[in-house]
Amino acid sequence: MSASLTYWRSLSERDGEPAPALDPTASRPADFSRRRFLEATGFTLSALAAAGCRPAREELALPSVTGVAGQIPGRNRICAATCAACPAACGLLVTTRDGRPLKLEGMPEHPLSRGGLCAVGQAQPLGLYDSLRLTGPLQRGQPISWRDADQKILDVLQQLREAGGAVRVLTGSTCSPSLRRMIGRFLGTFSDGRHVVFDSLGCSAILGAHEQTHGVRMLPRYRFENARAIVSLGTDFLGTWLSPVEFARGWRQGRIPTTDRPEMSYHVQLEGRMSLTGTKADRRLRVLPDEYALILGHLAADLANRAGLPGPSAPLPALPVAADEITALADRLWDARGASLVLSDSDDVQVQVLVNDVNHLLDNYGATLDTARPDQRWQSDDDSLSRLLAELRNGKVAALFVAGTDPLHNLPQSADLAEALGNVGLVVSLARWLDATTTAAQFICPEHHPLEDWTDAEPISGLVSYSQPMLAPLGQTRSILESLAAWSGQPATAYDIVRDTCRQQVFSRQSQIADFTAFWDQAVQTGFVEVEPVTGGPPAFNPEAVQWPTTAPATDGPRLAVHANVGMPDSRHAHNAWLHELPDPITKGTWDNYACISPALALAQGLADGDIATVTAGDVRIELPVCIQPGQHDRLVSVALGYGVPGTERFAHIGPDWFEARSGVGENGLVGVNAAPLLTWSDGRLSSTRSDVQLAKTGRHRPLATTQEHHSLTLPANTAPHGAPVRDIVQETTLAAFAQNPHGGTPHAHHVAGGELWPADHPPGDEKWGMVIDLNACTGCSACVVACQVENNIPVVGRDEVVRQREMHWLRIDRYYAGDGDDVRVAHQPMLCQHCDNAPCETVCPVLATVHSADGLNQQAYNRCVGTRYCANNCPYKVRRFNWFDYPHDDALENLALNPDVTVRMRGIMEKCSLCVQRIQEGRHEARRLGIPLADGAIQIACQQSCPAQAISFGNLRDATSAVAAARTSERSFRVLEELGVEPAVAYLRIVRNAEATDTHAEAAHV
Amino acid sequence: MLRASGSLNDGTETFDNHDMPKHVITIVLCIGLLGGLIVLATGSADWRLPDNQQGYAPVQPIAYSHRLHAGELQIDCRFCHSGAEFGKHAGIPSSDVCLKCHRVVTSSYDVLQAEAQLADTEKRKPNLIISPELQQLYDYCGLGSDLKPDREQTPQPIPWVRVHNLPDYACFDHRAHVTVGITCQKCHGPVESMERLRQEEPLSMGWCVNCHRDANTAGIDEKPVNASLDCAACHY
Repeated sequence: MSASLTYWRSLSERDGEPAPALDPTASRPADFSRRRFLEATGFTLSALAAAGCRPAREELALPSVTGVAGQIPGRNRICAATCAACPAACGLLVTTRDGRPLKLEGMPEHPLSRGGLCAVGQAQPLGLYDSLRLTGPLQRGQPISWRDADQKILDVLQQLREAGGAVRVLTGSTCSPSLRRMIGRFLGTFSDGRHVVFDSLGCSAILGAHEQTHGVRMLPRYRFENARAIVSLGTDFLGTWLSPVEFARGWRQGRIPTTDRPEMSYHVQLEGRMSLTGTKADRRLRVLPDEYALILGHLAADLANRAGLPGPSAPLPALPVAADEITALADRLWDARGASLVLSDSDDVQVQVLVNDVNHLLDNYGATLDTARPDQRWQSDDDSLSRLLAELRNGKVAALFVAGTDPLHNLPQSADLAEALGNVGLVVSLARWLDATTTAAQFICPEHHPLEDWTDAEPISGLVSYSQPMLAPLGQTRSILESLAAWSGQPATAYDIVRDTCRQQVFSRQSQIADFTAFWDQAVQTGFVEVEPVTGGPPAFNPEAVQWPTTAPATDGPRLAVHANVGMPDSRHAHNAWLHELPDPITKGTWDNYACISPALALAQGLADGDIATVTAGDVRIELPVCIQPGQHDRLVSVALGYGVPGTERFAHIGPDWFEARSGVGENGLVGVNAAPLLTWSDGRLSSTRSDVQLAKTGRHRPLATTQEHHSLTLPANTAPHGAPVRDIVQETTLAAFAQNPHGGTPHAHHVAGGELWPADHPPGDEKWGMVIDLNACTGCSACVVACQVENNIPVVGRDEVVRQREMHWLRIDRYYAGDGDDVRVAHQPMLCQHCDNAPCETVCPVLATVHSADGLNQQAYNRCVGTRYCANNCPYKVRRFNWFDYPHDDALENLALNPDVTVRMRGIMEKCSLCVQRIQEGRHEARRLGIPLADGAIQIACQQSCPAQAISFGNLRDATSAVAAARTSERSFRVLEELGVEPAVAYLRIVRNAEATDTHAEAAHV
Repeated sequence: MLRASGSLNDGTETFDNHDMPKHVITIVLCIGLLGGLIVLATGSADWRLPDNQQGYAPVQPIAYSHRLHAGELQIDCRFCHSGAEFGKHAGIPSSDVCLKCHRVVTSSYDVLQAEAQLADTEKRKPNLIISPELQQLYDYCGLGSDLKPDREQTPQPIPWVRVHNLPDYACFDHRAHVTVGITCQKCHGPVESMERLRQEEPLSMGWCVNCHRDANTAGIDEKPVNASLDCAACHY
């Protein structure tokens, strides 16, 4: 009996079309007689035996000359640090082995990230060991010594100091007190120095709106943990917006209903594209970005009316959505006054002023919007940037220093800008990789990788975090702090600069520790300190600032929105192959950006997935493959930024080298296409949306490397056994149904009659490892996928191999759509080896390479596997991965990122999730050494450790007091394909949406 | 020649009597075979089946004697291989561990003693006598003739040749074994009697597993232990 929603993974699956066949040109074995087979086998066996004999391999064991106190070979050292992958500055724990950093994990004690770390943060070690990272200063492409580079730069600067001239420093947002101090000191030596901040998708409008409504250019700290009603207009706060790890953790806090307290926050998402946050919303409305103003206007008018305050003087234009939707929203928000949150990612200041007005009417300032300790991470200012661009075009800038951002790649009209940069007397780039801007720079003075550097950060006022070098610099790079100090004429080491900043700006803001050295040591050791905030609360709200919308947006014609991808937030990460191969949480696309359009728009334009279309906006034309995205607004084309980065030519041949290998890059020779030219300046602000867009078919086609139909668990209708029940792979219920009956949604058991296949001849031991994944908390952010890849030495296969369904990720996140129309709901389900007690893979292995362990693990012995792939065929969860090749490991530097605890697998063998058995063994051995029992939580596996939403619990199922055993007995617990009787050790907790029970759900609730 | 012998077995074609007589062919074949075997046997005396290195005793860059240090002088194994208690690897000591003693002990006791007596009779300070092997150590450590760091020389790690080498797909943890009381000699043989270190045991999977089985039945030092027989105890 069909119990709940019907889920589908792609439009063709929903419509019952057959899955696309694999490449028909794939080679077929030729006729092969029995005699030829025996000949070949005999020859192979004897050749193998002969080839295997060899003299003992002489291998050197090189000890260090001088030992380091406390460093034991093969033992991990863990240091606190601060993530520098984006301005969010999450707390890090860096695992270092024998002097090399290997794994970045979230720091559980950190007040913001609280143990979480996103996919981008976790992928950082690959950049450290990147052999294409710049290793020293360059002048016009030629290596130069630091002494000469400094001398030449100082000569120019000295002239400017004497003669006067505009010196500009352009950076991305930075919350480092030391960096700000050094930039200030450097610019202070000139008569005309200015610091300009530019982020591709910053929050200049929110800062500008608070300047109007509160008189302070400020970004409040969003406290999702305090919010009972969340209305988000376009903000992807769980995926890419501002500080997604911190927000996901806060959001999660209100999202887990229990039997004692069947309550959840109510989350409404109004958006045009399908964002990660939209997939987790209780209610999702499809609206266009230019309709936000009107929706917020109506909402503000409704709330003002309830508050007894004056509303708009003239009636507002008609709403683009049903009026009762807004009334329902206002009801929810009004009920949760002081504990609600309204946000928008609009880059229009007037929209953000309306957002502030709504939050003010709801008394959210001081509750869910913390203004006493405001967010200091984002400072981009479109006014300041546009003034800089004007100065550049007018030849007013004498010297430009660029760090942490690539303006030539990320700004529109970059050809003009490149020409303007050519006229600047001195352009110095501090980029770590060659990028678009470095081509226009006379000097490239690369800064350290963050793991090689001393840094600090003050993400919110009063929280200062620190980072120490984890290893000596691998190249001749230099800290940006040291570069600025040298160019200021006062050379100093980064250590002294960061320590002095701590002494001057941080130490005085606390009174617990009187001795500075003790304070500093503690700050570096724990990674962060909490001190008094600098700023006080903002002055009162100024209602005069609100301008009610007067015009309604046009109701026809497509719109364009550029956005950030979860795995590739901006072009700084373009050299990271792990992030390119990470399937996007929604589209499941890899190694590309594309134009997402709705199925209806695709039908109207005659476009199919992978058809290359021309996106024309104003005088900009770019060609992109099309990706049909259910849930997208029918009039919206959305494109991700951060692609088409110069230097990504390197990924043309990243996969295995074989005769059918195809290039991994697009027609432009790069990974994806740069969408920054589509950004536009309107009313002095850099806008990510525009309405002058057209989409046209080119007739060309390039298959998208999307994994959405790979490894499907659903049974195609034509292969299902007669009368087989529909398998509920994901289970979902509503809060109303859950409150009525917490077990609601449990389908009828489909257990196989006749009991177990195998006799219970193995007595149960004390340990049985298991996992529970809370699908309600899981946001699909894919941090676990990268965590698993880093921990388990999972190779990157490249775009071509992904197209051939040969991606190697042990842990994937299956994304299912539900709903019949284009207004779909989405469920994310992390899928990994389920470590079945009656594992179907084990029974079919002819060489016993995969067998069960006494502690419940489904083991895979790589050295025993002969690669028949029977196990993968018999796995109902499709989690086994076959090594079709020896994936390239010829970059000696990059190999330093490999985890020495995990075998690097060879060609021809099967692999899959081991539940991080290396961590289990480490925890077990360490407990044994210390003579203590293995405590619950002492072993944390890679995917579990850094989950921002803490959706994964892992531990010993036989220990009734363990967290995983408690989660396993939850009313929401279910196991995927339980009816097969394979007894998986991984369970899931059902999704609960905060909605009234519908008919389907009422049926689902019936047990 | 192949065709000729093929014809013989076949019996359908006539054997050409004008060719070499049969016994000449046999003799040539035997000589060839013998010669081939001799070449193989001498050239591949140290050839083994994959990953079996039992008896391997390579020449080391410095003729370090475990017999002298661990046997005669009775220095505890863990003085140098300190990681064995705490981690996966027992570790090869960094050169400065050698210098803890050898900053003072520069040659054998007899030689130093003789020089001391000679100096005593000649009423002078004893000369610094450095044995050839220890001179190598000092060279690697970048020490000058006065045993002080020499700025001209860069210290180099000593390129020890690894003797006990498990294949990459097998993970062994010293800590777990040392903690339950397995002696070092159980796996490494009588190291305290070896002038040059030799791999005593096969270190094969069967050898490991047999010991685990025995330990589970007999215990270690009469204490019961739980030595895992799971694949994933070692292979991951």
